[in-house]
Amino acid sequence: MSALGMPTDMFLVFLGTLVAGSLGTVHFVVVHVVMGKPIDENIREDPHTVTDGGDDDV
Amino acid sequence: MSDLGAVALQMGAGGDVNPFYLGTFVVYLVLVLAIGAWGYRKTDDVSDFWVYGKELGPTLATWSYVANFVSAVSVIGFIGSVYGNGYSVVTGIIFGLMLGVSGLYFVVHKVRELNHVTFPDLIAELTGYEMARPITGTVLLANAWVYLIMQLVGAGLLVTVITGVPYEYMIWVIGGVFILYTVMGGLVSVAWTDLIQGTLMVGTVAVALGYMAIDLGGVASINQQFATLESAYVAPLGGGTYTALGVVASIIAFFGTIFTSQSTIVRINATDSIRTAKIHLAAGGLILSVFYIMLVMLGAGTTVGLSEAGLAVDNVDRAFPVLITEYVPTTIGTVIIVAILSGILSTTDTRLHACGVTVSRDIYDYFTDGEAGDRKLMRVSRVSTVVLGIAATGAAVNPPGTIIGLYNWRAILLTSALLIPVYVTLYARDTAGKGVLLSIVLGATLGPGWQALGEPMGVPATFVGVSMAILGLGVGHYAWEGGREASAGAAVSDD
Repeated sequence: MSALGMPTDMFLVFLGTLVAGSLGTVHFVVVHVVMGKPIDENIREDPHTVTDGGDDDV
Repeated sequence: MSDLGAVALQMGAGGDVNPFYLGTFVVYLVLVLAIGAWGYRKTDDVSDFWVYGKELGPTLATWSYVANFVSAVSVIGFIGSVYGNGYSVVTGIIFGLMLGVSGLYFVVHKVRELNHVTFPDLIAELTGYEMARPITGTVLLANAWVYLIMQLVGAGLLVTVITGVPYEYMIWVIGGVFILYTVMGGLVSVAWTDLIQGTLMVGTVAVALGYMAIDLGGVASINQQFATLESAYVAPLGGGTYTALGVVASIIAFFGTIFTSQSTIVRINATDSIRTAKIHLAAGGLILSVFYIMLVMLGAGTTVGLSEAGLAVDNVDRAFPVLITEYVPTTIGTVIIVAILSGILSTTDTRLHACGVTVSRDIYDYFTDGEAGDRKLMRVSRVSTVVLGIAATGAAVNPPGTIIGLYNWRAILLTSALLIPVYVTLYARDTAGKGVLLSIVLGATLGPGWQALGEPMGVPATFVGVSMAILGLGVGHYAWEGGREASAGAAVSDD
């Protein structure tokens, strides 16, 4: 038994799960908070999707 | 009748009504309805109803995401799974889900910048074909409806055990209340109830784990006793629950569901900025990974506690409800019940809402050639929410499978059909639209189809579905390359 009373391989799976879920947080904090890189807010005003307008045989 | 249905009815037949638990449940339902009525007054147009007017801020978006994420599968299915098979659920399901949340964080700007409402909107643009709406909408509707059944079954099982009110009655009470408030307030009421339910749920699961840890001598002691009961409980593959191939397939399937859920895409498009879209996934991933670690440890505590008290259960889905009613004091049990109901019902409303949006915007609007006005679309959203909600409640009376079984089925469907064609095309915008549609159809039919055949030769259904989607995309792109002109030039960013 190792940390938290479970075998090492199982503990590593728990640790890996925590790391997997935290990757976004780590990236956001390091890149956008600590390094100050701005987020590119390029959301379109109007989602002017150009499709066939309901006509399937384009 | 399915095993689960038989168990549900059996549970409902012999229970005594507990006034504390029943009172808690009634107060909870009244509060939820009040928020629905408030949301109705705040909903001015179809944009409010579908995507909160695209004004969701970081806090509301994060907790709404967390609350939507934690479902009947989490609180009853996962604890039941730990009770039956130990911690292998972390390896096979939770790891893939958490990796998916972080993965979506890194690509979410590509979705949000296109500024659509639903997933089929996005796919219609990527393919250049309006036909993509009903095709994708049908896949998403199947997923949302099955998810809805799962939630209603979980809620019904739980509330039946804790209140003593028979399952066949309770399921209609739960279904009715949630249909009513979702229909009234749309995403406005869904988001605000999610905020309350999400924070409540995470906090109270921590309290419940704390209680069990104190009662059983600490977390390390719980794990040691858990391993003593069965050494396979603390083995990453569950001592045979998963094969190496099976666990990889399962991780891919659940990783993919994060990218391909209609409710997730709708919520991303409801955020007020790309920054908020990123924050809600970054913070949500952290909160959820901590939450799930606590939850599975609570599952181990439940297993140890029930074993010590001689309260073994035959159906694993009953483990946690029995712990609440038979093991912990009523006051603690009441707190835990509020948390669990919050988890289940906040997911139920979101899926119900997603069903209505999918029918009206992605299917009805296509077949009326986009001529329906906003008021008409909102009415179709509401009517379809009611109809699909009632149908799901009816199906939940005698459910078609176990909660985890249904959960796996829709993961295979979503990931097989949508993960590869959509996200490859999001980055490779010159992919042939017909190739994308071929890929979606092949993945949607062959993934779940292979599973229905019992996964011949031991090949996991996810592998078959995803492989066929890749093949369809490659062959389709080669066959129809150069035939698209509709969505060219629609790309916004090139990173």
